Amino acid sequence: MSIATTHPEHHGEYHPSGILRWLTTTNHKDIGTMYLTFALIMFFVGGIMILAVRAELFQPGLQMMKPEFFNQLIGVHALVMIFAALMPAATGFANWQIPLMIGAPDMALPRLNNWGFWLLPPAAILLTLPFTLALFGIGDGAIATGWTFYAPLSVQGGIGVDFAIFAVHILGVSSIMGSINIIVTIFNLRAPGMTMMKLPLFAWGWLITAFLLIATIPVLAGAVTMLLTDRHFGTHFFNAAGGGDPILFQHLFWFFGHPEVYILLLPVWGLIPHVLSTFSRKPTYGYKAQVYSFIAIGILSVIVWAHHFFTVGMPVPALIYFMFSTMSISLPLAVLFFCWIATMWRGAMTFETPMLFAQGFIVLFGMAGLTGLVLADVAADAQYHHSYFVVAHFHYALFAGGIMGVMTGVYYWLPKWTGHHYSETLGKWHFWLTVVSFNLTFIPQFFLGLAGMPRRIPDYALQFAEFNAISTVGAFILGLSQLLFAYNIWTCVKGGPKAEGRVWEGAEGLEWELPSPPPHHSWETQPVVK
Amino acid sequence: MDATLTPDELARRRAASRRLGWALGIVVLALYVLGFFVQR
Repeated sequence: MSIATTHPEHHGEYHPSGILRWLTTTNHKDIGTMYLTFALIMFFVGGIMILAVRAELFQPGLQMMKPEFFNQLIGVHALVMIFAALMPAATGFANWQIPLMIGAPDMALPRLNNWGFWLLPPAAILLTLPFTLALFGIGDGAIATGWTFYAPLSVQGGIGVDFAIFAVHILGVSSIMGSINIIVTIFNLRAPGMTMMKLPLFAWGWLITAFLLIATIPVLAGAVTMLLTDRHFGTHFFNAAGGGDPILFQHLFWFFGHPEVYILLLPVWGLIPHVLSTFSRKPTYGYKAQVYSFIAIGILSVIVWAHHFFTVGMPVPALIYFMFSTMSISLPLAVLFFCWIATMWRGAMTFETPMLFAQGFIVLFGMAGLTGLVLADVAADAQYHHSYFVVAHFHYALFAGGIMGVMTGVYYWLPKWTGHHYSETLGKWHFWLTVVSFNLTFIPQFFLGLAGMPRRIPDYALQFAEFNAISTVGAFILGLSQLLFAYNIWTCVKGGPKAEGRVWEGAEGLEWELPSPPPHHSWETQPVVK
Repeated sequence: MDATLTPDELARRRAASRRLGWALGIVVLALYVLGFFVQR
């Protein structure tokens, strides 16, 4: 892709400083920074919750907390990590990078962008407030149903369920706003000459994500609204005693819940090829194949939802349909893996921190895919369902695939955003500690699941003690090693060796044509893509 | 596609973005509301 620049255009604008800057900003870079900062804070909030859970599980028996509080920590950990850490991190990337990558001056709807972010903090407060209220004797704590809100437990639960329902509504509105903004920005603000088949893969990944959010968030919102009316307004959508159907809730929830997995992963699948191409010093292999795979995965993701509850008692034809449709997702995913590996094939590879994280992502996310195939098998799932095997599988998908993907992106783009290089030594320490401790935490959970340990319990049989102890040690190392990540980011924001516009030797794309950090308006002089 | 992003061109593209944004917003609202009328 060759690039030419055209005439400059100047904007005279009022830029407030201090807190007012952040409250009123419509600049995509400021809003991206706020999303990423918020995501990092909530990553530690959700992490502390699960470390408390792992501490309780270090030994059999109840040592530290009541089972009710244990359940609350697990549910809120998942909601926080999914809705308040991973999704905002991906939206932060989109805000920072999409205008830079497609040659746009900003996002197309900047005020909507500001509103989308500022809905997040109140939602996070709503999610976690019931913990504090319970300390003062108000209510019985946060939502204790797990992140899935399954009825009829959620119909009978305490005020934590209501807080979570409102939080999910607000988070959903925020996601919809972000999605609309990303779609219209990609459709309307691309640089001259940038056709859809020249769009960077990161933008393609986010485009499919945005459409998935628009298709599925209303279904989740509808389901939890019905739950709210069941709880307080006398309806019986999910109450069998009143003619309702609790299984209907599972269908509605997972119609959103399964695409949500791809909502979390598609932005990462979009950014990984950029990193592999940069550090292999080769063009991305199979651009079109990757785009078509993104589209195929997006479509397949909305027709496979019932594999999350095979054991609920469905007709055999339905079981067979959901099994094979789920397994068929492995075909486009295999295409992606092939393209990632082929991009590196015979490349002049170097292993800076982003490349290390990308390698870790490929290997560990590959394990998520393979164990997912096992769970997609109806016969095998009867044994693994609701066991620690599932917990291990989805952490390989969402930590190794999601969070480590986000870390890849942060290490790749941070010098562009701040204008400074971070410490490579600290970055590499962070990578190796994360990979080793992550496996130390979750490999034992596969064995626990295979041995029959159910998930979401604070106590367990003695036979599971050793693997749980190892898992807890791994979790604490994993948690503590993330402090290196935060420290490295902090020192990079504060200073460090100056970064060039083209931060990495092999980097290609519009964003690297701009200085580091980019100017207030990213492309006052719009590039022409030839 | 024009090579320069003049203020007029930017305004035109932002207006097109607002129209598409509203259309997508209406789709979201319709999905949410229509769901309540789906019969088992």
